[in-house]
Amino acid sequence: MKKNIFITLIALIGCAVAVSAQGRSGLKLNEVMVVNESNAIDDFGERHGWIELFNSNHAPMEISSVFITDDPSNPKKYPVPLGDVNTRIPKRQHVIFWADGRPSRGTFHLNFVLKPNQDNWIGVYDANGITLIDSITVPASLEPGMSYARSTDGVGKWEMRNDVGENYITPSSNNIIRAQNDKIQMFKERDENGFALTLMAMCIVFSALLILCLCFLAISKISERFARANKMAAHGVTAETKAKHATDSDSGEVIAAIGLALRDHFEAHDQESTVLTINKVRRSYSPWSSKIYGMRHNPRS
Amino acid sequence: MEQTFGDFLVSNFNQFWHFTGFYNATWQHFVMLAVGLFFIWLAIKKDFEPMLLVPIGFGILIGNIPFNTEAGLEIGIYEEGSVLNILYNGVSAGWYPPLIFLGIGAMTDFSALIANPKLMLIGAAAQFGIFGAYMVALAIGFEPDQAGAIAIIGGADGPTAIFLSSKLAPNLMGAIAVSAYSYMALVPVIQPPIMRLLTTHKERLIKMKPARAVSQNEKIIFPIIGLLLTCFVVPSGLPLLGMLFFGNLLRECGVTTRLAKTASNALTDIVTILLGMTVGASTQATSFLTAETIFIFFLGFMAFIIASASGVCFVKFFNLFLAKDKKINPLIGNAGVSAVPMSARISNNLGLEYDPSNYLLMHAMGPNVAGVIGSAVAAGVLLGFLA
Repeated sequence: MKKNIFITLIALIGCAVAVSAQGRSGLKLNEVMVVNESNAIDDFGERHGWIELFNSNHAPMEISSVFITDDPSNPKKYPVPLGDVNTRIPKRQHVIFWADGRPSRGTFHLNFVLKPNQDNWIGVYDANGITLIDSITVPASLEPGMSYARSTDGVGKWEMRNDVGENYITPSSNNIIRAQNDKIQMFKERDENGFALTLMAMCIVFSALLILCLCFLAISKISERFARANKMAAHGVTAETKAKHATDSDSGEVIAAIGLALRDHFEAHDQESTVLTINKVRRSYSPWSSKIYGMRHNPRS
Repeated sequence: MEQTFGDFLVSNFNQFWHFTGFYNATWQHFVMLAVGLFFIWLAIKKDFEPMLLVPIGFGILIGNIPFNTEAGLEIGIYEEGSVLNILYNGVSAGWYPPLIFLGIGAMTDFSALIANPKLMLIGAAAQFGIFGAYMVALAIGFEPDQAGAIAIIGGADGPTAIFLSSKLAPNLMGAIAVSAYSYMALVPVIQPPIMRLLTTHKERLIKMKPARAVSQNEKIIFPIIGLLLTCFVVPSGLPLLGMLFFGNLLRECGVTTRLAKTASNALTDIVTILLGMTVGASTQATSFLTAETIFIFFLGFMAFIIASASGVCFVKFFNLFLAKDKKINPLIGNAGVSAVPMSARISNNLGLEYDPSNYLLMHAMGPNVAGVIGSAVAAGVLLGFLA
């Protein structure tokens, strides 16, 4: 009983670890604008500073009940409210929070504003208000109309962007604009005839199956040794007697021949024994099955 | 002007006529219907993979009934919300193939492979068909991701081909799936000439030692170790390999007989019906009858030939390093492609043709099931590189 409880506990702990491993660690601060002069406009037609969050997971993420704050001593400053369907961020997508200090305007309006000409620390805490998921300090040197963004969504270095040339400001969209799949392009340019991919792929396929092959060669050796030891123990054969009598292994032909001989011996019906045996069969009487009750007493002529 | 009753009837009949298949039919539809009928004929009369070709053939008929696509009837396979579209989700989102792999795992006895693990390398060598076809596809002018999706036909594994093409080249999936299943059905026609061409009479007579008996413990360990090793090397093959080995564990562990039976019978049958039918239905005339499809069929054929030939050649090469009494009959090399158990049966039949006492079936099952693992690994590699 105790053993079962222990195993169940371990399984539960394992599940809990697995669940936490797939939690909100994929939520990233992705881009921030402190002073919004001519950039995105909110639902009320106004411009405010904004904070962009990015779901770097390849699965949707629910962010209600996480906390967004600009004060490390007050991690629970703005709780993202429950009950809004828009707080479920699709895989690899973005969401913008307006730093306008007016949370009454909706889920995506924070209860603080970002301060120009000073460092702005921004943190995102998990639902427990203790686990810091991501944080960034936006430097005071960020000029009005510029944003502070990761070079690549969710992972890249932070850099200042001024919306000039390819230095895009990208509220609620990818920080890096891709028109094509980089991997495909790379193979197209550097491996025109496919030889490199073929070489790499065949090496990988061979090594995967070679490892499996070596592993099972070892396992089969160990298994054979165990099987032999068990067989010897079952027949009471010691190591010394084995050296004298035992063969290495039974070949398939030998086993088949023994099997056939046994079958012939026990099951063959070529010659019957020709002995007739008459045994008396006793059947216990029951009025329910008596023939007398099933017959007419006066048969019709 | 008021419409008379006669006009009303005529206009409605006219409208109905515009909805009918007769009005909307094009010659491409009739070609595809003929292809569907041909598949059904092959399956029923010639007994070529009937489990696959009947659903696919009938699916082609379903998918190529002409109708007015602008009427918004929500009946076409590509119209969101239609019944066929809902069933097709298993193909487009790629979750039918892993379920089929679960069934394959629950059906497959890996004993031959466990007893003689070096046969796994034949399964690896035969995957050269995939990458050989990849190079040819690039030379023809396909993009690398399309080339990868087409090349997987060389793995001779329908579910793997559907899985990979749904990820790399969804627009080519219908042609790739039909091509893969067609060539799998044609294994008895394609492989024997290659095997005869590449082997000598003496080699065909090689008798292999009978495989040793495999213990229950080894059979249980195999799917666990197999999953861990292959998926640590190629995590992108996880959906296929994970389900394959899971199904096999259900079969071998001895305590989940009911689950193994369901996975190998009822579940596999249901998914095969849905997969075959929807793949067939996805081959609509407008998108199927193109020059690309002809290239795909050509490349699939190439891939099959290269795969079979590389398996046989690898065995011949491998024999150079083996002791005289441990030589492998090269006729089992073709079984490295994963058309289970058809290609193993071909090895056996050809072996018996040259020596009526030389049964190669169990030996050929080793590379055959290794081919299943190998093609899933190869698909994972292509997905990792090109997705």
